[in-house]
Amino acid sequence: MAVETEEGMLVRVQQENFSIDQELERVRARSTRIGGIAMFLGTARDHSKGHDVSSMTFEHYEGMAQKKLKEIRERALQDFDIIEALVLHRYGPIEIGENIVLIIIGAEHRADAFKACQWCIDELKKITPIWKMEYTPQGDVWVEEHP
Amino acid sequence: MVQVRLFGMLKTLVSGVSMLEMPLSEGAQVKDLVDSLHIQYPDLGELLLQKKVVVSVNQEIAHWETALVESDEIALLPPFAGGA
Repeated sequence: MAVETEEGMLVRVQQENFSIDQELERVRARSTRIGGIAMFLGTARDHSKGHDVSSMTFEHYEGMAQKKLKEIRERALQDFDIIEALVLHRYGPIEIGENIVLIIIGAEHRADAFKACQWCIDELKKITPIWKMEYTPQGDVWVEEHP
Repeated sequence: MVQVRLFGMLKTLVSGVSMLEMPLSEGAQVKDLVDSLHIQYPDLGELLLQKKVVVSVNQEIAHWETALVESDEIALLPPFAGGA
């Protein structure tokens, strides 16, 4: 059970902020074979598609979002030469500058860590049912696509 | 009847509600549900017909021929916008 719980901690959709140090340590602690760690941290920016953004809210499909993040982790572990992958995404109201999404990949060497990290965030954007509303001076806007 | 969950901007097309109750006949497929939605909510129906919005059944993306039963968990998903 302890192993299942720890694996559950490696794929999360949560409202509260996360500690990058804690999450990094979580991945590092999985194996002493890890020699390279790549990370992508997505944060809330105050400008989007030519307009100012004062804050944002993420909505997710409870259950399906977690399922897709789990799929991403499992496929990354299967398709890349890596040791561990952590995928987190926040939902609810998020202020400018706050953390939104975190991918951490632990591998023996850097090349696979970088490749898997990029693949995970790209895939997350493609298949995970999460939506973003931006609050702008012109009104509230549901974001429909990413550049 | 079957319950259909709505996410993101889709709620703005149906007076802000996040759940619709739709009739479901025996042997119905996703395309039949899309037809019913198109009649009742033309703007929403157009997005479904243009495949800009996809239908999920039991948390998996469905095809138009996917069979439906009343106990299915059905949702309409606009384009995803996770990440940063």
